[in-house]
Amino acid sequence: MTMLPERPAGAKRLGLVIDLDTCVGCHACAVNCKEWNTGGEAAILPDYDKHGPEPDGVWFNRIHSYETNSGGCSRTVNFPRSCLHCEDALCVTVCPTGASYKRVEDGIVLVDTDKCIGCQLCSWACPYGARELDENAGVMRKCTLCIDRIYDEKLPPAEREPACVATCPSRARHFGDLADPDSEVSKLVEARGGVDLLAGLGYRPTNKYLPPRRATIPTPPVQPATASGKGLSAALLGLLDKALSR
Amino acid sequence: MKPAASVLLLTTATGFGFGLLAWLGAYCAVGFLPTHARLFVAAGVGISLALISLGLGASVFHLERKERAWRAFSQWRSSWLSREGIAGVLSYPVAIAFALALWRDEPPLWTRLLGVVLVLVSLGTVYCTAMIYASLKPIRQWHNAHTAADYLIYAVFSGAVLYALLNTVAHGTAGTVASVAAVTSAGIALLAKRAYWRHIDAQAPLATLAAAIGMPGGAEARALDAPHFTENFVLRQMGFSIARRHAKKLRRIALAIGFALPLACSVLAGCALLPLATASLAVLCAGGGLLLERWLFFAEATHVAAVYYGRKI
Repeated sequence: MTMLPERPAGAKRLGLVIDLDTCVGCHACAVNCKEWNTGGEAAILPDYDKHGPEPDGVWFNRIHSYETNSGGCSRTVNFPRSCLHCEDALCVTVCPTGASYKRVEDGIVLVDTDKCIGCQLCSWACPYGARELDENAGVMRKCTLCIDRIYDEKLPPAEREPACVATCPSRARHFGDLADPDSEVSKLVEARGGVDLLAGLGYRPTNKYLPPRRATIPTPPVQPATASGKGLSAALLGLLDKALSR
Repeated sequence: MKPAASVLLLTTATGFGFGLLAWLGAYCAVGFLPTHARLFVAAGVGISLALISLGLGASVFHLERKERAWRAFSQWRSSWLSREGIAGVLSYPVAIAFALALWRDEPPLWTRLLGVVLVLVSLGTVYCTAMIYASLKPIRQWHNAHTAADYLIYAVFSGAVLYALLNTVAHGTAGTVASVAAVTSAGIALLAKRAYWRHIDAQAPLATLAAAIGMPGGAEARALDAPHFTENFVLRQMGFSIARRHAKKLRRIALAIGFALPLACSVLAGCALLPLATASLAVLCAGGGLLLERWLFFAEATHVAAVYYGRKI
């Protein structure tokens, strides 16, 4: 059913924490996501006009680059955008067929592509633009939080994390249980002041974003010249003084 | 938002159909139907159901997997789209039972009761349709109190002009009551549309780009590089935008054709001035104008997700 489940006490809330301070905008997470999910448990993630002038396709993860003046100076912020696995997921409740659902045990939002009729209403209900239509199969697709990796007991435990997290070269992506206040991700959110995107809309997203840190490079205050007087000897003495006081 | 032809046809055609059913039911409930109206009612119900079928049929074409459409009836507990489907299908047996009861001259208590049920199921379906849009929080032009009220007002208005035409065809004259109903509802619809446009023009965007990417208050942001060079599904659906000056012009055309002209034609038809021609013109103008008004309802709606691409929302 597309009613949102009551989360039982102690149930997990799996999600991502994305560090906008360390993301370098390399798109590796998006590429590995595409790679894993096009060959994973679910169907192929389609590409259209692959070698033509208008290439397009379904991606679960899209990387934007912005310029902001946050933190008192101009800076580039790279911003990966994917499903946030919201607690109040409107994409789930608007679904007329029950194809969209939120898992009770870990809060992951999924699409049952065997039930989806491709009405696309869920994509309108998502403020983050996280759902994309598979125009070949006529069904909606979205991030699964790599459900076919994180629970796969055939994988070594260290690899049981989403493909985007596993591949991130700057370790800007973290995966864990955000319902547990003692988990690594929760502590990270606490320490770095992690935020909900578009919190005012009330979707209560699970994924959190860590804002960039203040970009202040400490520089020592300018030392006034201690040597007085003019001429070559004074200048040499000044240089010597500078060198010695380092 | 991208205006899809199937959805425009769905909401406009079902508006006419359910509007006419609601008027038939309401006139019956208060005893205003012409006497010996069995053929009149049968024709009215037939036309309504034809329009509703056209609209619902068009909506199925909006689905990517039409063969699974039956699944859409299952989630009535949370989904307005599901509720719309159920209410829409329920309207058929109610409308047919209503027409049959009048055909068979059933006792007035029974026909009046059916009339009330017909009004409820017709306007209920229109309300469900409106709530599909009104419940979408990311679209400020839809998620407001105007949307549901306006859909009901336009359905009642389009039903009223259609009823006046039906009356003219059947009895040679639109009749005072039907004419007053058409003129009044056209006037209310015109005022409602203007109030809606005033409302959305005064709204602030749901978010700035800086806030949408989690920057602290007061920060500004601009898009440097998009994730992809070509339009994707999200931009095709949610990034649709229309030039403001074009929208202004289209608004004036929609007001004139969709509301002012039907109002004037209904006055003329009420005064028995070429009643058949003027009543027909009222319906044609209302149909064309409401289609344009519905196109604008989509084209002028902005989705908050487009802000991530640096689009104006």
